[in-house]
Amino acid sequence: MLAFIVRRIIATIPVMGFVALFVFSLLYIAPGDPAAVIAGDQASPADVERIRAGLGLDRPYLVRFAEWLFRVLQGDLGTSIFTSLPVTQLIAQRIEPTVSLMVVTLLFAIVVAVPMGVIAAWKANTWIDRVAMAFAVFGFSVPVFVVGYLLAYIFALKLDWLPVQGYTPLSAGIGPWLENLILPSVTLGMVYIALIARITRASMLEVLQQDYIRTARSKGVAQPSILFIHALKNAAIPVVTVIGIGIALLIGGAVVTESVFAIPGLGRLTVDAILRRDYPVIQGVVLMFSFVYVVINLVVDIIYTLLDPRIRY
Amino acid sequence: MDRRTFVKSAGGVMLAAASGGLPAPALSQGANARTLRFVPQANLANFDPIWGTQYVVRNAAALVWDTLYGVDETLTPKRQMVESETVSPDGLVWTFKLRAGMKFHDGSPVLAKDAVQSLVRWSARDPMGLMIRALQNELVAVDDLTFRWSLKKPYPKMLLALGKNNSPCTFIMPERIAKTDPFQQITEFVGSGPMKFVRNEWVPGAKAVFEKFADYKPRDEKASWLAGGKRIMVDRIEWVIMPDPATASAALQNGEVDWWENPLSDLVPVLKANRNINVDIADPLGNIGAFRMNHLHPPFDNVKIRRAVLAAMNQEDYMRAIVGDDNNLWKPLPGFFTPGTPLYTESGGEILKMKSLDAAKKLLQEGGYSNQPVTCVVAQDLPVLKAMGEVTADLLKKMGMNVDFVATDWGTVGARRAQKTPPGQGGWNMFHTWHAGADCINPAPYTAVRGSGDKAWFGWPNSPGVEKEVENWFEASSLDDEKAAIARLNKAALEDVVFAPTGFFLTYQAWRKNVSGVTKGPLPFFWGVSKA
Repeated sequence: MLAFIVRRIIATIPVMGFVALFVFSLLYIAPGDPAAVIAGDQASPADVERIRAGLGLDRPYLVRFAEWLFRVLQGDLGTSIFTSLPVTQLIAQRIEPTVSLMVVTLLFAIVVAVPMGVIAAWKANTWIDRVAMAFAVFGFSVPVFVVGYLLAYIFALKLDWLPVQGYTPLSAGIGPWLENLILPSVTLGMVYIALIARITRASMLEVLQQDYIRTARSKGVAQPSILFIHALKNAAIPVVTVIGIGIALLIGGAVVTESVFAIPGLGRLTVDAILRRDYPVIQGVVLMFSFVYVVINLVVDIIYTLLDPRIRY
Repeated sequence: MDRRTFVKSAGGVMLAAASGGLPAPALSQGANARTLRFVPQANLANFDPIWGTQYVVRNAAALVWDTLYGVDETLTPKRQMVESETVSPDGLVWTFKLRAGMKFHDGSPVLAKDAVQSLVRWSARDPMGLMIRALQNELVAVDDLTFRWSLKKPYPKMLLALGKNNSPCTFIMPERIAKTDPFQQITEFVGSGPMKFVRNEWVPGAKAVFEKFADYKPRDEKASWLAGGKRIMVDRIEWVIMPDPATASAALQNGEVDWWENPLSDLVPVLKANRNINVDIADPLGNIGAFRMNHLHPPFDNVKIRRAVLAAMNQEDYMRAIVGDDNNLWKPLPGFFTPGTPLYTESGGEILKMKSLDAAKKLLQEGGYSNQPVTCVVAQDLPVLKAMGEVTADLLKKMGMNVDFVATDWGTVGARRAQKTPPGQGGWNMFHTWHAGADCINPAPYTAVRGSGDKAWFGWPNSPGVEKEVENWFEASSLDDEKAAIARLNKAALEDVVFAPTGFFLTYQAWRKNVSGVTKGPLPFFWGVSKA
């Protein structure tokens, strides 16, 4: 196992290198000019040109890429063109809200979706199953921002139970922290619940038809025990896979959710940077997300071995 | 107890029980009233008002840095940091004396050398500053509070240059900071204005915080725009950046923020219907919509084709597309200067009143238009520009022109408009923008109206008539002379079609009724604003 983990970590290096090259090249050929944004609308073309030169954006592609790569290898993601703050500092400022949003969403989604999928499989083709799957279709079909606005309208504006926007750090207490995360997490969790519930149901339907389940039933094992201990563990491999894949969905969804609920997270940082063509920030954030995704895939692979002892690497 | 407080309390009890009693912080009523939460027009992505000239940076900078002079609501420059000034009889030597006792936020006194170095940096970036620099003999500190600016030629608009509200303003910084290259960003944000910038709470894209500067000495006069006593009535101002207008609207209605600088016109009816919210015009100087045609390439290198577009356009179509049915928010603009200001003129504006497709088609024919494509670059991420772009595309098609509509984002437009290459090689024929009315009250800050060819703003119009009248305006010594020069300028600019004005429009601002002292102006003025 240890050898497998080491091999996977080493394999991460070329993946990250490719991502770095791809992101840098994409930004290089993309239209747009941060110097024009900085200079403002009243600036003369000469001013824009001088700012561009000051930022080093007039230098050749290879020179810029080599310099950036050299810095990245030393752990320096560069400095934001607009704020003059280190990219690592900008990411550090924004990481807590995004991680909080993703963790709460993930927990909420798993707690709701797994039982939903299990029960839907158990009660397959009954009204319970149909209601659960109708909910899943709704979760898939309705865009995140529509759900967000709807929830904010009902629970913040009409009922005045929860705030519309913002983020309170965990250091201010669990209550205020959670208060700001409930609506965004439910919003972001909808599509994730739909995905996990459907996969859980499909996987459980297959497992529930196997002989050992019938044996367990004939031995008089209680239904909850059959469902959640005997069956779920064997049905969990595809569920874990989809949870891992779904992290990408969460990252994408966080961009919209953070905008709708004005959460100062990495999603908004990314969108702001793209709109302004703040190249070092875009490169830094994409690189970080890629790294996170590679690590999550590694963790998923390790979890497989815990769930199914037959799996060996 | 309202429902949220009840839910919070109940939730708090449960969570405290579950977590072993973690306390939730309470914001007392008094502390809440001493913090003003403001939603600005855009993200404060950088904080150097000389390096980055975006309006949002200027607006925040006006809290932190003071200016030597400041315009009041009559657009007259008034003394601000300056106690007195003298000018020699030949108009060549200006001597300024600063008010005594002013301090920077780091505790150091404001001295003449700070003002001198700040003016050196400012004058390298500002159009009026560049003009003064070109005339400059010497800019020196005479003593701790006095500095002298001697020129080779009189510059009658000196006080306007030092007090104008157009970006970049003459913000005074400590000498060591002002020594930064004007094309490099400063890294210390120390001013002598009424509020201090709380750098460690700054999260670009999310929040910027300002705290009252206890040692600030406001002038005795009543505050009026950038002039007079800037008395801050709250301890803390938080700028909460909200990219989504619907979220900002909901947050204002919910009392999570106190003041929203620029509500989207679609959301204004909702805000007006809320009994806890005031809605009023934000800036009486408003905005001037515009599209620019590229004078370097066909078909708009031909003045008859440019005139054809002016003759066909109906400004009402543009304005309705921007502000909807609210007639209080727009008016036609048969000229280039801000309505309601001293130099406003309609001289030569007849062509914008024609609204005649027949006349336009005739001009197109006379101009020899041969169905060349018109590359119209339109930013889709800014509602005002998207609306104007669609109206223009429709107009050009009705005129029988071949429209190549390029839908893109503002970042791309910003880069593409600087390209002088032909449209087929990355250039353009037409793009849309708008100008703050405060920038269009006279030619000094109004780079868009200039006709200096290669040195002009994007589109590079060459209009000797305009340039001659700009010079005449700068040298005018009476308001009547200024008005005459501007009338001639307006006429020349319309004849040469320096750009196409699409109309004058206003926007709203909205604030909660427990906030008082909000005024109308070209930027949000926080002095005098209090919260109950």
